[in-house]
Amino acid sequence: MIVCSNCTYRNREGYFYCEDCGFPLADSMRDRTATRQLDSEENVLSARATWGTARLTDASQILLQVTDAKSPIQLSVVARSVVGREDVSSDHHPDIDLVPYGGLEKGVSRNHAMIQRSEDTLTIVDMGSSNGTFLNGQRLVSNQPRVLRDGDEIRFGKLVTRIFFK
Amino acid sequence: MEYIYDPYVLLGVKPGADNQEINAAFARLQQALAPSEAKGKPGAIAQLEQIKAAYALLSDSRKRSAFDRQRASDEPGTGFQMRVTPSKKVIEKLEEPQVIYLLAEIIPHSKASPDSAAPVRRDAGLNLTLILDHSNSMNGVRLDRVKVAATEIIEQLSENDILSVVGFNDHAEVVIPATSVENKRALATRTRIMRASGGTEMYKGLYAGVLENRKNLRPDRVNHIILLTDGNTYGDQEKCLTLARKLSKEGISVSTLGLGSEWNDEFLDEIASITGGSSGFIKSANAVVSFLNNQVKNLSNVYAEQMQLTVAPTPDVDVEMTFKLAPSPQPLPEKDQVIHLGGMQFERKMSVLLQLQIPADVEVGTLDLGRVVVSGRVISEKRVYTATSQLSVQVSEQPSVEPPPNKILDALGKLTLYRMQERANDSIERGNVKEATQRLQNLATRLLEVGQEGLAKEAFDEVKRLKTTHALSEEGRKTLKYQTRVLIGEVDGGKDG
Repeated sequence: MIVCSNCTYRNREGYFYCEDCGFPLADSMRDRTATRQLDSEENVLSARATWGTARLTDASQILLQVTDAKSPIQLSVVARSVVGREDVSSDHHPDIDLVPYGGLEKGVSRNHAMIQRSEDTLTIVDMGSSNGTFLNGQRLVSNQPRVLRDGDEIRFGKLVTRIFFK
Repeated sequence: MEYIYDPYVLLGVKPGADNQEINAAFARLQQALAPSEAKGKPGAIAQLEQIKAAYALLSDSRKRSAFDRQRASDEPGTGFQMRVTPSKKVIEKLEEPQVIYLLAEIIPHSKASPDSAAPVRRDAGLNLTLILDHSNSMNGVRLDRVKVAATEIIEQLSENDILSVVGFNDHAEVVIPATSVENKRALATRTRIMRASGGTEMYKGLYAGVLENRKNLRPDRVNHIILLTDGNTYGDQEKCLTLARKLSKEGISVSTLGLGSEWNDEFLDEIASITGGSSGFIKSANAVVSFLNNQVKNLSNVYAEQMQLTVAPTPDVDVEMTFKLAPSPQPLPEKDQVIHLGGMQFERKMSVLLQLQIPADVEVGTLDLGRVVVSGRVISEKRVYTATSQLSVQVSEQPSVEPPPNKILDALGKLTLYRMQERANDSIERGNVKEATQRLQNLATRLLEVGQEGLAKEAFDEVKRLKTTHALSEEGRKTLKYQTRVLIGEVDGGKDG
């Protein structure tokens, strides 16, 4: 099975272009690719947007590292988690609150994006946020899920983060 | 026209083989093909018939010696070679079905060994029939350009060639009865009598043209019909397709050209694909002359005619797609027992891409995928050549990563663009405008990425239109379809080795 990084369509092995959206299927998206192990925190933060694995195992931990933050946020994404900004006045509590990281100043919406875990992949979808969600510098079209890979940079408005599978 | 596959090649025995060898070869092949035939695989049904005919010929000593005598009196043959390249030589053993691509390249022998003795004679005469729509909608510049095109085609032909011209609207009239092209001026004058009026009844035109073409149907000619129309025909499409199937067996190929945007592309595609012809879209009347001239030029450069392909996969393997990449990219009817490929040109290879599905849980080791047979009549020798190929791949628990052959990857890249417009159309037909919009947007993005800015703009325009009208413009839809198809032919143009 090869999961398309553009549209998440699950192609049969042997395809070179996604049967659904026609985009080239990167070799690194293939299931057999071993999980990339990063040595140290430093290495982690200097990692550019490379093709990390998109594959999760049951044991995978998902970490969201906000730039300049001391320690990463551990995500317990069971099915889906909303990333956003807590707003007590409207009694709004997202699963992952970015207020402690300057979310309000950096333009994070209350419901900004949703991270979803399927069987063995993680996807992100922008929920129509005011300032946009950017994956590796590219602004996401709202309501269109994209596959996340180990080491991807995700920017919520102006708040820069990076996601890791451990 | 008699079309006899080479019985020795089909059975895989030497021309001097004794009866025992022939019996053994036949029994082995029959055994190999029977399970696929039982599963109703069209290619296996055809191949069983082929080997039965070959066996019948070779086991009848009188017929066999007649065949051998005929063969001995022929000039030393040239023929062609077939080369099949898989997208992967080693596949992984998986618990799920997987896909493999095979590129079948048929190479004219004159090219396969460039230092072979004498140059091949190029004296293939054309037996060409033009069937031209002159219904009311052709009035004005369209019919004028068609007449100019006809005149230029007459100019291109020689006295070795046979030409007939049929005009049709509600009824058909023979404008030029089949004749050798001698008095060019007189012939050109006759094409000018066509006047635009009436509706479009294609079967009448096609049938009248077929009668003209059959008069000179000969194995040492390229027997071809070019049908040009700008409209839809109603109620007689099935009759046209039935006739087309007959023509494919007789050795007449039909190319179809749609002018403007009001014609039925699926129907014209099908007529061409069944017979081994090509189908094309002429957007504006101004392009008619060059388009038709090119078609005729390609025909007069034909090395082998009536190229035929049969693919008999093993019982659990499915042929999911067959597409001719070169010359003239054309989707092929993979459900047909015998797939007609049309003519192969001098010094240009013909290539066909196959997509097969391999079932889950295949055994580690060598996996037999099936058998491919290609045949064609080399015109200068009036002789049918046959080539066969047994297909297999290795299955391994942990194959090393191997990059796919570039020519397959390139072809798939282009073919994918064509498939994307098809899939967008499928979505529209199912009424799913949202999905269609997304697919068309993906196509536009991909076209930009591969540097096709003009076509990308067409696609973006259609995205906008889709959002407001929930449909594509006919012109835009046909442009995307036929232009992405043309791109496939530009992969290598069949020119490199």
